[in-house]
Amino acid sequence: MALQQLEKALAAVNQVVLGKETAVRMALACLLARGHLLLEDLPGMGKTTLSHALARVLGLQYQRIQFTSDLLPGDILGTTVFERDSSSFVFHPGPVFTELLLADEINRATPKSQSALLEAMEERQVTIEGTSHRLPEPFFVIATQNPVSQGGTFSLPESQLDRFLMRLSLGYPDSRAEHALLGGSGGRNQAISPEALLDKQQLLAAQQQVATVRASDALIAYVLRLAEASRNHPQLGYGLSPRGSLALLAAARAWAFLAGRDYVIPEDIQALAPAVISHRLGHAQGASHGRSADAIVHDLLDTVPAL
Amino acid sequence: MSSSPLLHAIPRNALLWLLIAQALVIAPHLFHIPPWIAGLWLFCALWRVQVYRSRWSLPRAIVKLAMMVSAAFAVYVSRGSLVGLDAGVALLITAFTLKLVELRSRRDALVLVFLGFFAVVTGYLYDDSLLAALYSLLPVAALLTAWAGLQQAAGSRQSPRISLGLSLRLLGQAIPLALLLFVFFPRLEPLWSLPQPAEKGRTGLSGQMSPGDIAELSQSTELAFRATFDGEIPAKNQLYWRALTLPLFDGRSWRMASFGTDLLPGQWRKQGASQAYSVIMQPSRQPWLFSLDISESTQADVRMLGDFRLQRNRPVARTYLYQAEAWPQAVAEPLLSAAGRRHNLQLPRPGNPRTREWARQLREQYADDRQLVAAMLAHFNQQPYHYTLKPPLLGENSIDEFMFDTRRGFCEHYSSAMTFALRVAGIPARVVTGYQGGEINTAGNYVQVRQMDAHAWVEYWLPGSGWQRADPTFQVAPERIELGLQDALGDEVAALDNSLFSPVRYRHVAWLNKLRMGWENLNHGWQSKVLGYQRERQHAWLRQLFGEVNWQRIGIGMVAAMALLLGLLALFIIRPWQQRPAPAQRLLQDYDRLMRRRRLARSPQEGMQSHAQRIASQLDALQLQALEDFVTVYQQLQYSGDGNLQQARYALRQLWRSMSPRYLRKR
Repeated sequence: MALQQLEKALAAVNQVVLGKETAVRMALACLLARGHLLLEDLPGMGKTTLSHALARVLGLQYQRIQFTSDLLPGDILGTTVFERDSSSFVFHPGPVFTELLLADEINRATPKSQSALLEAMEERQVTIEGTSHRLPEPFFVIATQNPVSQGGTFSLPESQLDRFLMRLSLGYPDSRAEHALLGGSGGRNQAISPEALLDKQQLLAAQQQVATVRASDALIAYVLRLAEASRNHPQLGYGLSPRGSLALLAAARAWAFLAGRDYVIPEDIQALAPAVISHRLGHAQGASHGRSADAIVHDLLDTVPAL
Repeated sequence: MSSSPLLHAIPRNALLWLLIAQALVIAPHLFHIPPWIAGLWLFCALWRVQVYRSRWSLPRAIVKLAMMVSAAFAVYVSRGSLVGLDAGVALLITAFTLKLVELRSRRDALVLVFLGFFAVVTGYLYDDSLLAALYSLLPVAALLTAWAGLQQAAGSRQSPRISLGLSLRLLGQAIPLALLLFVFFPRLEPLWSLPQPAEKGRTGLSGQMSPGDIAELSQSTELAFRATFDGEIPAKNQLYWRALTLPLFDGRSWRMASFGTDLLPGQWRKQGASQAYSVIMQPSRQPWLFSLDISESTQADVRMLGDFRLQRNRPVARTYLYQAEAWPQAVAEPLLSAAGRRHNLQLPRPGNPRTREWARQLREQYADDRQLVAAMLAHFNQQPYHYTLKPPLLGENSIDEFMFDTRRGFCEHYSSAMTFALRVAGIPARVVTGYQGGEINTAGNYVQVRQMDAHAWVEYWLPGSGWQRADPTFQVAPERIELGLQDALGDEVAALDNSLFSPVRYRHVAWLNKLRMGWENLNHGWQSKVLGYQRERQHAWLRQLFGEVNWQRIGIGMVAAMALLLGLLALFIIRPWQQRPAPAQRLLQDYDRLMRRRRLARSPQEGMQSHAQRIASQLDALQLQALEDFVTVYQQLQYSGDGNLQQARYALRQLWRSMSPRYLRKR
């Protein structure tokens, strides 16, 4: 039931973001696994379009923050204001109090503002002046960032990258998709058009179902083998943390769920590993940065026995 | 097909192996059981197979009873008795055979298996050679396999080879245990004695000697004993193996004395160098042993008798090993008692007048005993005597006829004639029988003495010097002593011993000879090291290992060693350090093997589903269906936790079938 709705939602998003079926599916899986998503790509590749479309089809209330270098934590979290009527300080929630938060160009903000958001992402609550305010359920962050080499960016530290379940890059569309785009279909203009295909209850139910997808011993053994291999890889300074392994398993559950299965198979892990773990691996000291973390993840997948 | 479900209680696999095992068990017994038992077995086997195929039914009680009684009667007729080893074994094999048509349940089949093991053991009573022991591994393996097969579910159609592999593994694992028991298990004195198999026509020296006896013996190449020397092997012409002395003469045969004095050890004085040796004797059913002059043995059950022969306290019923030390230059019985003198001068009153006359003449000619003996030997040397295996038949005065008419004879003729003549001349003398020479096995450096090396020679007594050996045969045919019988008689032996496989026949083919020597050396090792490892050797060896030997210590040692061994074995089998491949893992291995064979190998990092997708284009619809089915069940089994192993196995089998070469060819 929910699965059909989700498939419809995917189809709707694909109407807007052309030729990126896999990335769209992964983004959805990320949300189903209650993870936050980091979209990293050059400007103009459709990051924001994707976030918008997702938010709309999932029927979520959403806010957007454009991160700039002068953005302050209060601009994200909200502030306490003195109200004369009640002669008391009243908390004015910031844009973070929403179900889906689009954090555009997150790496353009200063680390201070970044970490304000990232804390909220992890704790799912905001503490201001000693008072905790719970964030709504569900709560997603889809952050976009420009590649680190671009000017005017503060790159996210590893500890904060870790908060994102997946890091996706969309890449250039293939020529057919681009042709369609230029021909007038798709694109941001249509982002308004998709209707909400799910409601909040359905989404929460789906999330619960995802959590019950079975990861058998044999599968966990595979994840462990991968983690072990990443820890021993000569080109990596540090390997996959236990949190990373957990994240991989959670994402794979959602991926299996989207495939209509109630159990995870190694192919699920393989499909998601680049997105889930490449931003959690660190290059070895002095190792050339010639090979991207992505390539190393593929390396791991090619050497670790799957069964 | 299942008119009676009980029939199928014994799996096909087990039945097949039972039949094979029975054939293997019975085969070596055919040498000594009545041959009709083989026919009986074939009949019963056929019946059993027909029963399995539901063509015939099992015999009814009355038929069974009739078969049993008539089989027992047939054994009685064939063997003349129902007791004794021969009849007992025949009965055992008959019962073993008849049980075949009485198998109803697994329990019956187990009884059959155990009977089979027992029948294998009884075979050792007849033949405990290396070859027989090696052979018995075959029936034992087959019986074990049948046993393993019996553990399968009824109606299982598992390949018989699987049971075989299991039983071979079991046998292999039993080897260290068997070795341990062999070394440590106490050699008990037999609790009861078994009548030995009657072996008609068994060759060997007997307690009396008539003309022709030893010549007859010479036609047998059967092994008599093997002797290993501590030092160098003495020259062949010094190898006079004494078995018996025959002082009693009745005019035709020489016989053993049965006087009381003979039972006491003879008086003798050690002199010169000594030589230690050990002998492994083949069963002779006689108590006397073979020794070089003059030997003493420290063996508890061996003693020396009055004529310096060694005798065991009971007949040598199975291969027997003893150690002795010989003093070739010893002085034997320097003083002869009056009784001894009387025995060794005894002559039958009438008969052989010409020889008596001849001896008397010699006595007149030579007053000195030594000169007289020399003259006699010279007589044999110079007169035209002929050494032959086929002497003419002799009449009443056999010695006269031989000495002066025929002049053709074998060693018993020469020794008999000379002893007779010496006695006439008043010199105490006797015939000694035993073996002379033997073949030196170059592979193992020991002497191998066969029945054809049987020999008879003369012993005479001189005051003060004691008994002296004289061999008239040496005067006639020195090559007999220097080289051996085959060289002395050449063609005559070859003609007599015309068996195709006679070892002697091919003794001039160098490589064959070498092979034979090697094989005999192996047998020698088997007999001395394995069969000869009896109580005394065991004690000696264990004493070397543990110092003082008592049974408690050995018992504790054995139990500890066994516990250790079984523990190691268990560790090796269970391998707790190694994770057992889960059943799903085994499935995967089979799957991978199949794919490798079809050149569609899955690479290790590939999941089952990705692999299936990758190779899908190379499969036809049927195969693809089978593949998908398998992948689905496999994934359910491995990842969803609600899989069914049986189902997965079935799916894999379907997949194998769909990708079998036969199917591919048909396509």
